[in-house]
Amino acid sequence: MKNKLMHLSNETMNVGFVKKVEALSGTSVRRCFQCGKCSAGCPMTAFMEHPPNRVVRLLQLGQGARVLAGRSIWYCASCETCTTRCPNKVNLAAIMDALRKLSWDADGPSKESYVQLANRLFIENIRTYGRQYELRLGAAFNMKSGQFLKDLMLGPKLLSRGKMKLFHQKNKNLPEIEAIFNRIEEMRKKGEAL
Amino acid sequence: MTPGKKNFLNYSYYPGCSLHASGREYDISTQALFKALNLGLKEVPDWFCCGATPAHNVDELLSLSLCAKNLSLADQVEGDLAVACAACFSRLKTTQHHLKEDDTKRQQVETAIAGPASLGKPVKHILEILARDFGLARLEESVKKPLLGLKVAAYYGCLLTRPPEVPELDDCEDPSIMEDILRALGAEPVKWSHRMECCGANFTLSRPGVVLKLSNAILKSAQEAGADCIMVACPLCHGNLDIRQESINKYGTPEGSLMGNIFGSDYIPGSEDGPRREMPIFYVTQLAALAMGVPTDKLGLESVIVDPRPLLNEKDLL
Repeated sequence: MKNKLMHLSNETMNVGFVKKVEALSGTSVRRCFQCGKCSAGCPMTAFMEHPPNRVVRLLQLGQGARVLAGRSIWYCASCETCTTRCPNKVNLAAIMDALRKLSWDADGPSKESYVQLANRLFIENIRTYGRQYELRLGAAFNMKSGQFLKDLMLGPKLLSRGKMKLFHQKNKNLPEIEAIFNRIEEMRKKGEAL
Repeated sequence: MTPGKKNFLNYSYYPGCSLHASGREYDISTQALFKALNLGLKEVPDWFCCGATPAHNVDELLSLSLCAKNLSLADQVEGDLAVACAACFSRLKTTQHHLKEDDTKRQQVETAIAGPASLGKPVKHILEILARDFGLARLEESVKKPLLGLKVAAYYGCLLTRPPEVPELDDCEDPSIMEDILRALGAEPVKWSHRMECCGANFTLSRPGVVLKLSNAILKSAQEAGADCIMVACPLCHGNLDIRQESINKYGTPEGSLMGNIFGSDYIPGSEDGPRREMPIFYVTQLAALAMGVPTDKLGLESVIVDPRPLLNEKDLL
Protein backbone atom coordinates (compact mmCIF):
# COMPACT_ATOMS: atom_id res chain seq x y z
CA MET A 1 0.00 0.00 0.00
CA LYS A 2 2.85 2.34 0.86
CA ASN A 3 4.40 2.38 -2.60
CA LYS A 4 1.23 2.38 -4.64
CA LEU A 5 0.27 5.50 -6.55
CA MET A 6 -2.19 7.61 -4.67
CA HIS A 7 -5.31 8.72 -6.56
CA LEU A 8 -7.09 11.61 -4.92
CA SER A 9 -10.84 11.88 -5.29
CA ASN A 10 -13.91 12.22 -3.11
CA GLU A 11 -13.91 8.43 -2.75
CA THR A 12 -10.30 8.08 -1.61
CA MET A 13 -10.13 11.13 0.63
CA ASN A 14 -11.68 11.14 4.09
CA VAL A 15 -11.93 14.83 4.93
CA GLY A 16 -14.30 14.23 7.84
CA PHE A 17 -11.58 12.28 9.64
CA VAL A 18 -9.09 15.11 9.23
CA LYS A 19 -11.64 17.58 10.62
CA LYS A 20 -12.04 15.34 13.68
CA VAL A 21 -8.28 15.28 14.18
CA GLU A 22 -8.16 19.07 13.91
CA ALA A 23 -11.02 19.49 16.39
CA LEU A 24 -9.45 17.11 18.91
CA SER A 25 -5.95 18.54 18.64
CA GLY A 26 -6.92 22.19 18.31
CA THR A 27 -4.40 22.63 15.51
CA SER A 28 -4.65 22.87 11.73
CA VAL A 29 -2.84 20.44 9.43
CA ARG A 30 -3.20 22.96 6.59
CA ARG A 31 -0.60 25.21 8.19
CA CYS A 32 2.17 22.68 7.45
CA PHE A 33 4.40 23.51 4.46
CA GLN A 34 6.58 20.40 4.74
CA CYS A 35 9.84 21.92 5.92
CA GLY A 36 10.61 18.65 7.72
CA LYS A 37 12.00 20.10 10.95
CA CYS A 38 9.71 17.84 12.97
CA SER A 39 11.12 14.69 11.40
CA ALA A 40 14.68 15.99 11.60
CA GLY A 41 14.38 16.37 15.37
CA CYS A 42 12.23 13.31 16.05
CA PRO A 43 14.10 10.66 18.07
CA MET A 44 11.72 7.93 16.90
CA THR A 45 11.78 8.22 13.09
CA ALA A 46 13.95 5.09 12.92
CA PHE A 47 10.99 3.11 14.22
CA MET A 48 8.29 4.75 12.08
CA GLU A 49 7.19 3.95 8.54
CA HIS A 50 5.71 7.44 8.22
CA PRO A 51 7.92 10.12 9.79
CA PRO A 52 6.02 13.00 11.43
CA ASN A 53 6.05 15.36 8.43
CA ARG A 54 4.62 12.60 6.23
CA VAL A 55 1.89 11.91 8.79
CA VAL A 56 0.79 15.53 8.40
CA ARG A 57 1.08 15.34 4.59
CA LEU A 58 -1.10 12.22 4.53
CA LEU A 59 -3.66 14.02 6.68
CA GLN A 60 -3.61 16.99 4.30
CA LEU A 61 -4.43 14.53 1.53
CA GLY A 62 -7.26 12.95 3.54
CA GLN A 63 -5.40 9.65 4.00
CA GLY A 64 -6.09 9.10 7.69
CA ALA A 65 -6.62 5.36 7.23
CA ARG A 66 -3.05 4.93 5.96
CA VAL A 67 -1.70 6.64 9.05
CA LEU A 68 -3.77 4.57 11.46
CA ALA A 69 -2.85 1.31 9.75
CA GLY A 70 0.84 1.85 10.55
CA ARG A 71 2.79 1.90 13.77
CA SER A 72 4.02 5.50 13.58
CA ILE A 73 1.50 6.99 15.99
CA TRP A 74 2.22 4.37 18.65
CA TYR A 75 5.97 4.90 18.38
CA CYS A 76 5.72 8.63 19.08
CA ALA A 77 7.37 9.21 22.47
CA SER A 78 5.51 12.49 23.14
CA CYS A 79 8.84 14.27 23.60
CA GLU A 80 7.31 17.38 21.98
CA THR A 81 10.41 18.22 19.94
CA CYS A 82 8.25 18.54 16.80
CA THR A 83 5.80 20.97 18.43
CA THR A 84 8.68 23.00 19.85
CA ARG A 85 10.47 23.40 16.52
CA CYS A 86 7.56 23.84 14.08
CA PRO A 87 7.92 27.25 12.43
CA ASN A 88 4.21 27.31 11.56
CA LYS A 89 2.92 26.37 15.00
CA VAL A 90 1.45 23.03 13.99
CA ASN A 91 1.06 21.19 17.28
CA LEU A 92 2.17 17.82 16.00
CA ALA A 93 2.32 16.20 19.45
CA ALA A 94 -1.39 17.07 19.88
CA ILE A 95 -2.14 15.66 16.40
CA MET A 96 -0.45 12.41 17.44
CA ASP A 97 -2.57 12.35 20.63
CA ALA A 98 -5.73 12.91 18.57
CA LEU A 99 -4.81 10.16 16.09
CA ARG A 100 -4.10 7.71 18.89
CA LYS A 101 -7.42 8.54 20.52
CA LEU A 102 -9.34 8.00 17.27
CA SER A 103 -7.53 4.72 16.62
CA TRP A 104 -8.06 3.67 20.26
CA ASP A 105 -11.79 4.46 20.23
CA ALA A 106 -12.36 2.69 16.93
CA ASP A 107 -10.21 -0.24 18.11
CA GLY A 108 -8.87 0.06 14.60
CA PRO A 109 -6.13 -1.87 12.86
CA SER A 110 -2.57 -1.02 13.78
CA LYS A 111 0.76 -2.79 13.48
CA GLU A 112 1.55 -1.98 17.09
CA SER A 113 -0.13 -3.79 19.94
CA TYR A 114 2.43 -3.74 22.78
CA VAL A 115 2.33 0.01 23.26
CA GLN A 116 -1.46 -0.04 23.23
CA LEU A 117 -1.47 -2.85 25.77
CA ALA A 118 0.92 -0.94 28.04
CA ASN A 119 -1.26 2.19 27.82
CA ARG A 120 -4.39 0.21 28.61
CA LEU A 121 -2.82 -1.43 31.67
CA PHE A 122 -1.43 1.90 32.88
CA ILE A 123 -4.86 3.54 32.76
CA GLU A 124 -6.51 0.49 34.33
CA ASN A 125 -4.02 0.79 37.19
CA ILE A 126 -5.11 4.38 37.86
CA ARG A 127 -8.74 3.33 38.01
CA THR A 128 -8.08 0.33 40.27
CA TYR A 129 -5.34 1.58 42.58
CA GLY A 130 -5.19 5.38 42.21
CA ARG A 131 -1.43 5.32 41.93
CA GLN A 132 0.76 3.21 39.69
CA TYR A 133 1.46 -0.26 41.03
CA GLU A 134 4.55 -1.18 39.08
CA LEU A 135 4.73 -4.85 39.99
CA ARG A 136 1.25 -5.45 38.65
CA LEU A 137 1.96 -3.31 35.60
CA GLY A 138 5.01 -5.39 34.68
CA ALA A 139 3.45 -8.75 35.53
CA ALA A 140 0.20 -8.06 33.66
CA PHE A 141 2.13 -6.81 30.63
CA ASN A 142 4.26 -9.96 30.49
CA MET A 143 1.26 -12.26 30.85
CA LYS A 144 -0.88 -10.49 28.27
CA SER A 145 1.90 -9.92 25.73
CA GLY A 146 3.17 -13.48 26.00
CA GLN A 147 6.71 -12.28 26.85
CA PHE A 148 6.71 -14.28 30.05
CA LEU A 149 10.40 -13.89 30.79
CA LYS A 150 10.78 -10.23 29.85
CA ASP A 151 12.84 -8.31 32.42
CA LEU A 152 12.49 -11.20 34.84
CA MET A 153 16.07 -10.68 36.00
CA LEU A 154 15.28 -7.08 36.91
CA GLY A 155 12.50 -8.06 39.34
CA PRO A 156 14.68 -9.26 42.26
CA LYS A 157 17.09 -6.34 41.78
CA LEU A 158 14.29 -3.79 42.01
CA LEU A 159 12.52 -5.55 44.88
CA SER A 160 15.67 -5.90 46.97
CA ARG A 161 16.45 -2.20 46.57
CA GLY A 162 12.93 -1.15 47.49
CA LYS A 163 12.41 0.16 43.96
CA MET A 164 9.37 -2.02 43.46
CA LYS A 165 6.74 -2.55 46.11
CA LEU A 166 5.06 -5.92 46.66
CA PHE A 167 1.76 -4.31 47.62
CA HIS A 168 -0.08 -1.34 46.23
CA GLN A 169 -0.59 1.88 48.18
CA LYS A 170 -4.02 2.71 49.53
CA ASN A 171 -5.75 5.85 48.34
CA LYS A 172 -8.79 7.55 49.84
CA ASN A 173 -9.73 9.17 46.57
CA LEU A 174 -10.50 5.94 44.71
CA PRO A 175 -14.29 6.61 44.60
CA GLU A 176 -13.58 10.08 43.22
CA ILE A 177 -11.28 8.65 40.53
CA GLU A 178 -13.94 6.14 39.52
CA ALA A 179 -16.47 9.00 39.36
CA ILE A 180 -14.18 10.99 37.03
CA PHE A 181 -13.93 8.02 34.65
CA ASN A 182 -17.71 7.55 34.76
CA ARG A 183 -18.55 11.22 34.24
CA ILE A 184 -16.27 11.37 31.19
CA GLU A 185 -17.93 8.28 29.73
CA GLU A 186 -21.35 9.82 30.36
CA MET A 187 -20.38 13.12 28.71
CA ARG A 188 -19.21 11.21 25.65
CA LYS A 189 -22.43 9.21 25.51
CA LYS A 190 -24.45 12.43 25.58
CA GLY A 191 -22.21 13.90 22.90
CA GLU A 192 -21.03 16.72 25.17
CA ALA A 193 -17.36 15.88 24.72
CA LEU A 194 -15.20 14.37 22.00
CA MET B 1 20.81 32.34 55.82
CA THR B 2 20.17 32.54 59.54
CA PRO B 3 19.07 29.24 60.98
CA GLY B 4 15.81 29.47 62.84
CA LYS B 5 12.67 27.57 63.61
CA LYS B 6 10.78 29.20 60.81
CA ASN B 7 11.26 27.76 57.35
CA PHE B 8 12.68 29.98 54.65
CA LEU B 9 9.82 29.00 52.32
CA ASN B 10 7.04 26.44 52.50
CA TYR B 11 5.90 24.18 49.70
CA SER B 12 3.16 21.67 49.10
CA TYR B 13 4.57 18.53 47.52
CA TYR B 14 3.33 16.26 44.73
CA PRO B 15 5.87 13.41 44.54
CA GLY B 16 4.18 11.32 41.85
CA CYS B 17 3.96 7.53 41.60
CA SER B 18 7.58 6.86 40.64
CA LEU B 19 8.94 8.61 43.71
CA HIS B 20 7.16 6.12 45.90
CA ALA B 21 8.58 3.17 43.96
CA SER B 22 11.32 2.99 41.33
CA GLY B 23 12.48 6.54 42.03
CA ARG B 24 12.40 6.33 45.82
CA GLU B 25 15.90 7.78 46.20
CA TYR B 26 14.63 10.95 44.48
CA ASP B 27 11.96 11.28 47.19
CA ILE B 28 14.42 10.49 50.01
CA SER B 29 17.02 12.96 48.77
CA THR B 30 14.45 15.69 48.02
CA GLN B 31 13.14 15.52 51.60
CA ALA B 32 16.69 15.52 53.00
CA LEU B 33 17.76 18.44 50.82
CA PHE B 34 14.73 20.58 51.66
CA LYS B 35 15.32 19.96 55.36
CA ALA B 36 18.97 20.93 55.02
CA LEU B 37 18.03 24.15 53.19
CA ASN B 38 15.31 25.04 55.70
CA LEU B 39 12.57 24.67 53.12
CA GLY B 40 9.22 23.28 54.26
CA LEU B 41 7.78 20.39 52.25
CA LYS B 42 4.35 18.93 52.98
CA GLU B 43 2.90 16.14 50.86
CA VAL B 44 -0.56 16.64 49.36
CA PRO B 45 -2.84 14.11 51.14
CA ASP B 46 -4.06 11.25 48.95
CA TRP B 47 -2.79 12.62 45.68
CA PHE B 48 -3.18 10.16 42.79
CA CYS B 49 -1.58 9.43 39.43
CA CYS B 50 -1.49 12.37 37.00
CA GLY B 51 -2.00 9.97 34.09
CA ALA B 52 1.50 10.66 32.76
CA THR B 53 2.10 9.97 29.07
CA PRO B 54 -0.29 7.00 28.57
CA ALA B 55 -3.38 8.98 29.62
CA HIS B 56 -2.87 11.98 27.35
CA ASN B 57 -1.72 9.67 24.57
CA VAL B 58 -5.15 8.16 24.17
CA ASP B 59 -7.50 10.40 26.13
CA GLU B 60 -6.65 14.05 26.64
CA LEU B 61 -9.82 14.83 28.58
CA LEU B 62 -9.04 12.08 31.09
CA SER B 63 -5.50 13.39 31.51
CA LEU B 64 -6.67 16.97 32.05
CA SER B 65 -9.34 15.85 34.54
CA LEU B 66 -6.94 13.72 36.61
CA CYS B 67 -4.48 16.62 36.80
CA ALA B 68 -7.20 19.19 37.57
CA LYS B 69 -8.45 17.07 40.46
CA ASN B 70 -4.90 16.72 41.81
CA LEU B 71 -4.43 20.48 41.53
CA SER B 72 -7.54 21.07 43.60
CA LEU B 73 -6.34 18.51 46.17
CA ALA B 74 -3.11 20.49 46.36
CA ASP B 75 -5.06 23.53 47.55
CA GLN B 76 -5.45 21.82 50.94
CA VAL B 77 -1.77 22.42 51.64
CA GLU B 78 -0.19 25.85 51.77
CA GLY B 79 2.63 26.98 49.53
CA ASP B 80 3.50 26.65 45.85
CA LEU B 81 3.30 23.09 44.51
CA ALA B 82 6.74 21.48 44.38
CA VAL B 83 6.97 18.69 41.79
CA ALA B 84 10.01 16.47 41.39
CA CYS B 85 9.01 14.25 38.46
CA ALA B 86 9.42 15.88 35.05
CA ALA B 87 6.39 14.04 33.63
CA CYS B 88 4.06 15.06 36.49
CA PHE B 89 5.44 18.59 36.26
CA SER B 90 4.75 18.72 32.54
CA ARG B 91 1.22 17.30 32.84
CA LEU B 92 0.19 19.59 35.72
CA LYS B 93 1.58 22.67 33.97
CA THR B 94 0.00 21.66 30.66
CA THR B 95 -3.36 21.28 32.37
CA GLN B 96 -3.13 24.75 33.91
CA HIS B 97 -2.09 26.20 30.56
CA HIS B 98 -4.83 24.48 28.51
CA LEU B 99 -7.65 25.14 30.94
CA LYS B 100 -6.74 28.82 31.24
CA GLU B 101 -6.79 29.21 27.45
CA ASP B 102 -9.68 26.98 26.44
CA ASP B 103 -13.10 27.59 28.03
CA THR B 104 -14.78 24.59 26.39
CA LYS B 105 -12.15 22.23 27.76
CA ARG B 106 -12.37 23.85 31.17
CA GLN B 107 -16.14 23.34 31.28
CA GLN B 108 -15.76 19.68 30.27
CA VAL B 109 -13.11 19.12 32.92
CA GLU B 110 -15.21 20.86 35.56
CA THR B 111 -18.09 18.54 34.72
CA ALA B 112 -15.75 15.55 34.97
CA ILE B 113 -14.36 16.50 38.38
CA ALA B 114 -17.74 17.91 39.54
CA GLY B 115 -16.20 21.11 40.84
CA PRO B 116 -14.34 24.22 39.80
CA ALA B 117 -10.89 23.80 38.25
CA SER B 118 -8.35 25.42 40.53
CA LEU B 119 -5.62 26.93 38.40
CA GLY B 120 -4.10 29.58 40.62
CA LYS B 121 -1.37 27.70 42.50
CA PRO B 122 2.07 28.01 40.91
CA VAL B 123 3.48 24.59 39.97
CA LYS B 124 7.26 24.51 40.34
CA HIS B 125 9.88 21.94 39.51
CA ILE B 126 12.60 21.28 42.11
CA LEU B 127 15.19 22.83 39.76
CA GLU B 128 13.19 26.06 39.67
CA ILE B 129 12.89 26.12 43.46
CA LEU B 130 16.64 25.64 43.90
CA ALA B 131 17.81 28.07 41.21
CA ARG B 132 15.16 30.81 41.50
CA ASP B 133 13.14 30.69 44.75
CA PHE B 134 16.08 29.73 46.92
CA GLY B 135 18.53 31.37 44.56
CA LEU B 136 21.89 30.34 43.14
CA ALA B 137 23.86 32.73 45.33
CA ARG B 138 22.21 31.45 48.50
CA LEU B 139 22.68 27.88 47.28
CA GLU B 140 26.40 28.51 46.80
CA GLU B 141 26.67 30.01 50.27
CA SER B 142 24.96 26.99 51.83
CA VAL B 143 27.41 24.48 50.33
CA LYS B 144 29.38 22.70 53.04
CA LYS B 145 31.17 20.11 50.92
CA PRO B 146 31.78 21.42 47.38
CA LEU B 147 31.72 18.72 44.72
CA LEU B 148 35.21 19.59 43.51
CA GLY B 149 36.58 17.62 40.61
CA LEU B 150 33.27 15.92 39.78
CA LYS B 151 32.57 16.14 36.06
CA VAL B 152 28.84 15.94 35.52
CA ALA B 153 26.78 15.66 32.34
CA ALA B 154 23.52 17.51 33.02
CA TYR B 155 20.71 15.66 31.27
CA TYR B 156 17.43 17.55 30.73
CA GLY B 157 15.46 15.09 28.65
CA CYS B 158 12.19 16.11 27.04
CA LEU B 159 9.57 17.38 29.39
CA LEU B 160 11.42 19.92 31.54
CA THR B 161 11.62 22.49 28.76
CA ARG B 162 9.19 21.48 26.02
CA PRO B 163 6.96 22.82 24.52
CA PRO B 164 8.29 26.35 25.13
CA GLU B 165 5.01 27.98 26.21
CA VAL B 166 4.17 25.38 28.87
CA PRO B 167 6.92 24.53 31.41
CA GLU B 168 8.46 28.04 31.39
CA LEU B 169 11.46 26.54 33.15
CA ASP B 170 14.24 27.62 30.83
CA ASP B 171 15.14 28.06 27.16
CA CYS B 172 13.63 25.20 25.15
CA GLU B 173 16.73 24.51 23.01
CA ASP B 174 19.63 25.75 25.13
CA PRO B 175 18.75 25.65 28.83
CA SER B 176 21.35 26.23 31.53
CA ILE B 177 19.48 25.85 34.84
CA MET B 178 21.05 22.45 35.62
CA GLU B 179 24.56 23.61 34.77
CA ASP B 180 24.07 26.74 36.92
CA ILE B 181 23.06 24.59 39.87
CA LEU B 182 26.05 22.29 39.31
CA ARG B 183 28.45 25.23 39.30
CA ALA B 184 26.91 26.54 42.50
CA LEU B 185 27.55 23.13 44.07
CA GLY B 186 31.20 23.28 43.04
CA ALA B 187 30.94 20.56 40.38
CA GLU B 188 32.10 20.87 36.81
CA PRO B 189 29.37 20.55 34.14
CA VAL B 190 30.69 19.09 30.86
CA LYS B 191 29.65 20.21 27.38
CA TRP B 192 27.93 17.39 25.55
CA SER B 193 25.59 16.70 22.68
CA HIS B 194 22.72 14.62 24.03
CA ARG B 195 21.40 16.62 26.97
CA MET B 196 18.04 17.32 25.30
CA GLU B 197 17.54 13.99 23.53
CA CYS B 198 14.79 11.54 24.47
CA CYS B 199 15.76 8.48 26.56
CA GLY B 200 12.83 6.38 25.33
CA ALA B 201 10.62 7.30 28.28
CA ASN B 202 7.74 4.95 28.96
CA PHE B 203 8.66 2.55 26.15
CA THR B 204 10.63 0.83 28.91
CA LEU B 205 7.55 -1.30 29.54
CA SER B 206 6.24 -1.90 26.04
CA ARG B 207 9.30 -1.70 23.77
CA PRO B 208 12.53 -1.85 25.79
CA GLY B 209 14.50 -2.09 22.53
CA VAL B 210 13.63 1.57 21.89
CA VAL B 211 15.00 2.57 25.29
CA LEU B 212 18.20 0.59 24.71
CA LYS B 213 18.86 2.36 21.44
CA LEU B 214 18.13 5.90 22.63
CA SER B 215 19.64 5.62 26.11
CA ASN B 216 22.74 4.00 24.63
CA ALA B 217 23.34 7.12 22.54
CA ILE B 218 22.98 9.31 25.63
CA LEU B 219 25.39 7.24 27.76
CA LYS B 220 27.89 7.10 24.91
CA SER B 221 27.79 10.85 24.35
CA ALA B 222 28.25 11.59 28.08
CA GLN B 223 31.23 9.28 28.25
CA GLU B 224 32.83 10.78 25.15
CA ALA B 225 32.49 14.23 26.71
CA GLY B 226 34.54 13.01 29.67
CA ALA B 227 31.76 12.99 32.26
CA ASP B 228 32.14 10.95 35.45
CA CYS B 229 28.40 10.73 35.91
CA ILE B 230 25.06 12.03 34.64
CA MET B 231 22.64 14.22 36.59
CA VAL B 232 18.91 13.93 35.93
CA ALA B 233 15.73 15.49 37.29
CA CYS B 234 13.21 12.89 36.13
CA PRO B 235 12.55 9.40 37.54
CA LEU B 236 11.85 7.98 34.08
CA CYS B 237 15.14 9.21 32.65
CA HIS B 238 16.85 7.80 35.73
CA GLY B 239 15.14 4.45 35.36
CA ASN B 240 16.14 4.12 31.73
CA LEU B 241 19.74 5.24 32.16
CA ASP B 242 20.34 3.43 35.46
CA ILE B 243 18.20 0.29 35.56
CA ARG B 244 18.74 -0.54 31.87
CA GLN B 245 22.42 0.44 31.81
CA GLU B 246 23.73 -3.05 32.43
CA SER B 247 21.89 -4.53 29.47
CA ILE B 248 22.90 -1.59 27.28
CA ASN B 249 26.57 -1.99 28.17
CA LYS B 250 26.58 -5.76 27.87
CA TYR B 251 24.46 -6.33 24.86
CA GLY B 252 24.48 -3.19 22.81
CA THR B 253 21.20 -2.30 21.19
CA PRO B 254 19.63 -5.23 19.37
CA GLU B 255 16.36 -4.86 17.51
CA GLY B 256 13.45 -7.21 18.11
CA SER B 257 13.60 -10.85 17.01
CA LEU B 258 11.95 -14.16 17.88
CA MET B 259 14.22 -14.53 20.92
CA GLY B 260 13.41 -10.94 21.78
CA ASN B 261 9.71 -11.73 21.79
CA ILE B 262 10.21 -14.42 24.39
CA PHE B 263 12.85 -12.79 26.57
CA GLY B 264 12.04 -9.13 25.98
CA SER B 265 14.41 -7.51 23.56
CA ASP B 266 17.15 -6.69 26.05
CA TYR B 267 18.45 -10.16 26.65
CA ILE B 268 19.75 -10.94 23.18
CA PRO B 269 23.54 -11.00 23.00
CA GLY B 270 24.95 -9.07 20.05
CA SER B 271 27.13 -6.25 21.22
CA GLU B 272 27.71 -3.18 19.07
CA ASP B 273 29.88 -1.01 21.22
CA GLY B 274 29.85 -2.43 24.75
CA PRO B 275 31.26 -3.25 27.22
CA ARG B 276 31.81 0.16 28.62
CA ARG B 277 32.65 1.93 31.87
CA GLU B 278 29.74 2.14 34.30
CA MET B 279 28.23 5.59 34.50
CA PRO B 280 26.49 6.44 37.79
CA ILE B 281 23.26 8.42 37.41
CA PHE B 282 22.42 10.97 40.12
CA TYR B 283 19.30 12.93 40.84
CA VAL B 284 19.90 16.66 41.18
CA THR B 285 18.68 16.42 44.78
CA GLN B 286 21.23 13.71 45.61
CA LEU B 287 24.15 15.83 44.41
CA ALA B 288 22.78 18.98 46.04
CA ALA B 289 22.13 17.24 49.36
CA LEU B 290 25.63 15.72 49.24
CA ALA B 291 27.10 19.21 48.78
CA MET B 292 24.98 20.52 51.68
CA GLY B 293 26.66 18.01 53.96
CA VAL B 294 23.68 15.68 54.38
CA PRO B 295 24.99 12.31 55.68
CA THR B 296 25.55 9.95 52.74
CA ASP B 297 23.28 7.27 54.18
CA LYS B 298 20.34 9.66 53.78
CA LEU B 299 20.67 10.12 50.02
CA GLY B 300 19.26 6.78 48.92
CA LEU B 301 22.57 5.90 47.25
CA GLU B 302 22.14 2.23 48.18
CA SER B 303 18.96 1.77 46.14
CA VAL B 304 20.50 2.86 42.83
CA ILE B 305 21.46 0.01 40.47
CA VAL B 306 24.76 1.41 39.14
CA ASP B 307 26.55 1.94 42.45
CA PRO B 308 27.78 5.56 42.63
CA ARG B 309 29.80 5.03 45.82
CA PRO B 310 33.08 3.95 44.18
CA LEU B 311 33.08 7.17 42.13
CA LEU B 312 32.29 9.33 45.16
CA ASN B 313 35.01 7.53 47.11
CA GLU B 314 37.52 8.16 44.34
CA LYS B 315 36.65 11.87 44.38
CA ASP B 316 36.82 11.93 48.16
CA LEU B 317 33.20 12.98 48.50
CA LEU B 318 31.77 10.16 50.57
